[in-house]
Amino acid sequence: MSILVCLEGSASSASAIACAIDFAQALATPLTGIAIVDEPDIVAATATGIGGASYRKDRDATLLADAHAHAAVWLHDFAARGHAAGLSVRTLELEGRPAEMILAELARHDVAVFGRDVNFRFETQESDRYTRDRILRRAGKPLIVVPPGAAPGASSVIMMYDGSAAAIRALRSFATSGLGHGRKIYVATLDDDGATAFERASQGCELLRREFAVAASPENIVSAAPVVEALLERRAKLGAGLIVLGGYVPSPLARLVWGSVTHGVLALSPVPVFVHY
Amino acid sequence: MTPFWAVVPFLVYLLLIAVLPLVAAGFWEHNRNKLYVAVAVGAPVIGYLLGEAPDGRALLWDAGREYAAFLSLLGALFIISGGVCLRGTLASSTAVNTAFLAVGAVLASVIGTTGASALLIRPVLRANEHRARSRHVVVFFIFIVANGGGLLTPLGDPPLYLGFLRGVPFTWTLHLVVPWAVVNGALLAAFAALDRMIARREVAPPVDATRRGAPEHGRSALRIDGASNLALLFGVVVTVFVVGTYGRRWLGSAAACSVAQIAAMAALSAVSLATTPTAVHAANRFTLAPILEVAAVFVGVFVTMVPALAFLAERGASLGITRPWQFFWASGALSSVLDNAPTYLTFASLATGVANGAGGALSVHDLGALAVDPVGHPLLVAVSCGSVFMGAITYIGNGPNFMVKAIAEQHHVRMPSFFGFVLWSFAILVPLLGAFALAYFGS
Repeated sequence: MSILVCLEGSASSASAIACAIDFAQALATPLTGIAIVDEPDIVAATATGIGGASYRKDRDATLLADAHAHAAVWLHDFAARGHAAGLSVRTLELEGRPAEMILAELARHDVAVFGRDVNFRFETQESDRYTRDRILRRAGKPLIVVPPGAAPGASSVIMMYDGSAAAIRALRSFATSGLGHGRKIYVATLDDDGATAFERASQGCELLRREFAVAASPENIVSAAPVVEALLERRAKLGAGLIVLGGYVPSPLARLVWGSVTHGVLALSPVPVFVHY
Repeated sequence: MTPFWAVVPFLVYLLLIAVLPLVAAGFWEHNRNKLYVAVAVGAPVIGYLLGEAPDGRALLWDAGREYAAFLSLLGALFIISGGVCLRGTLASSTAVNTAFLAVGAVLASVIGTTGASALLIRPVLRANEHRARSRHVVVFFIFIVANGGGLLTPLGDPPLYLGFLRGVPFTWTLHLVVPWAVVNGALLAAFAALDRMIARREVAPPVDATRRGAPEHGRSALRIDGASNLALLFGVVVTVFVVGTYGRRWLGSAAACSVAQIAAMAALSAVSLATTPTAVHAANRFTLAPILEVAAVFVGVFVTMVPALAFLAERGASLGITRPWQFFWASGALSSVLDNAPTYLTFASLATGVANGAGGALSVHDLGALAVDPVGHPLLVAVSCGSVFMGAITYIGNGPNFMVKAIAEQHHVRMPSFFGFVLWSFAILVPLLGAFALAYFGS
C-alpha cells in the first residue's frame, strides 16, 4: 500500500496532508508528496501585440520561478510533517500538465489524497476544477478527496451502497486498502422503500464479511430530501468521519442536466470522501 | 493607380504580426527573426516602389524618415518613463483607485500610454495586492490609462503621433477633448460602481499565503525616484510641439525637422540612460528589448503600408465607407485585432480618398489638410477615436496592453485569457462606445 499526496497551497490541501498522515500511520505505509509546476500553461503561446514579446518572456520566467519556489516550500513542509509523524516520506517536484503528471505518478501508487479545492494551475487560473475532474475520471484507482477543515482520525466510516457495479468496486477497493481497520463501518442504501434499502445495505455488509471478513452495519435511508442531502444528513447523524462511494463517469451533458451524486457529495461533504470511479 | 497586389504584403504582414506569436512563439521571440520577416514581406514592396511606382524612391525615403522620427519618439518616451519609479503604497479604496485611473488618463496624453502605464501600473497593483479580486482594476487600467487616456495629444498614442508626423497639427487632437472626457469619464464611473460593488462583497483572501505570497498591508507615502526624468519628459513634449509647429518655418524642410527631432530625442534618451540610477531601472525591470522589438516590427509596417495607403487614397470613395460612424467602427474594429498605429494611417488614407471623392485634392502625406477639410475633419476625428479607444478591446490592440497584463500577472493578478479580456471589453467598453458613437457621430 502506498499513498500519493498531491500538494498545493489551498486550505483543503493542508487538510489532505493531515488526513494522509493519519492514514499512513494507521497502515504503516510510506507517503509520497508530489508538487506540480504547471509549465505548459504558464508558457503557453499567446497573442502579445507589438512590443509584448519581452514582457511575455519576463512574465513567464517570473511565474515559473514562483511556481518552483512554492513547490519547494510545500514539499519541504510536507516532508517535515511526515517525518515528525515518524513516516517514511518521499517528495517529488514535477513539471508538466498537472492532471497527466498526477495520473502518471498514481500508476505507481495505490491511492491518491488531495484537497477538494486544489488549484494546481494557480499561476494562471482562479480555480482548477478541470484537473480534479480529469483525475477523478481517469484515475482508475481510489482517490480520497479532502475538504478544507476536515479533521483526521475518523472513528467511523459510511459506505454508500446501491448495489451497482460502481458501488461494489468502491466497497471492494476500500476494504482492500485497509483503511477500514479499527473503524466502525456502516453500509448505507437510499431507497423510497425502507425494507428494500435495508435489504440492499445488508447485501453490502454480507459482501464485506464474505470477501474481506470485515464487519459492517446496514443503514437504510428513506428521505424526501434530495439524494445528496439525505446521504450527508445520515453521515452527520452517524458521526462518520469518512464517506466511501463509487462513481461512474456521466457525459458532461448528462451531468449538466441530471447532476451527479458523486460530485454533489464531493462538493458538500465536510469530511473526506473515498471515491473510486 | 496603385495595383492591388502591392497592398497584399501589408495585409499579410499585419496578419503575421497577429498570428506568429501564437503559432511560432519560439521563432517570433527573437527580434532578429522579426526583422527577417519584415524584410521578406517588405522586399516586394521595395521592388515595386523602386521599379514601378511613380515617385517610389521619394515615397520610400519619406517612409524611412517617418519611421526614424516615430521610433525616436516612442523610444524616448519609453526610455525616459522607464527611468521614473513611483514608490510607496496607496490605500486601496474605490476613491483612490478611481483617482489614480483619472490621473493616468491625463498623464497618458502627456507622456504617452506606454509611459503612463509603465509608471502607474505597479503602484496600482501594490495598492490592491491584498484584495482577493483585483483583476477588474487592471482591466479598467488597460481601458483608460493604456488606451483611452492617450487621445488628447499626438504624444498620447502612437496612431496620433503617426498622424502628427503626416501633418496633423500638434494642437488638433485637443479637438477630441469631448470624446476623451465622455468616454474616460464614463469608464471611470463604471469602474467606481464595479469596484465599490466588488469591495463590498470581498471577504478576506483565503489562507494560502504560501501560494500567493504574503500581501504587504503597510502603507507608505508615494515618492518619485528618478525625478530628473520628468524634466526630460517635459523636454520631449516641448521638442515635439516646437518642431512640429514651428520647425518648417525655422528649419525649412520636413527632412530637416525630422533630423532635428530625432537628434533631440536621441539626446534626451541618452541623458536619461546615463543619469538614471540602476536601482530605478531594476525596480521597473527596465530593458531595451520592448523598444527593439517595436523597431524591428515597424520596419515592415512602414515599408509595406506605402502602397496600401496610396491605394486607399485613390479608391477610398468607392469602398463604401463614407460616414464618420462607419470610420469609427471600422478603424476601431481593425485596431482591436491589429496594432492601432498602422490601422489609423490606413483609415486616415481612406478618409483622404473619401474627401477627394467629394471634390478635394488632398494627399495622404499631408493629413493636416484632411484635418481642416470640411469633409475630412469629422472622418479624421472618427478614425482617431476609433483607433485609440478600440485599441483596448484586446491585449494586442495597443502596445501597452500586453505589458500591463504581463506586469499584473507577475504581481499575481490572474488576468483574463485573451478571449476572457474580449468578453470584458464587450461587456463594458463596446456598449459604452456604442452609446458614445450614436450620440457623437450619429448614423
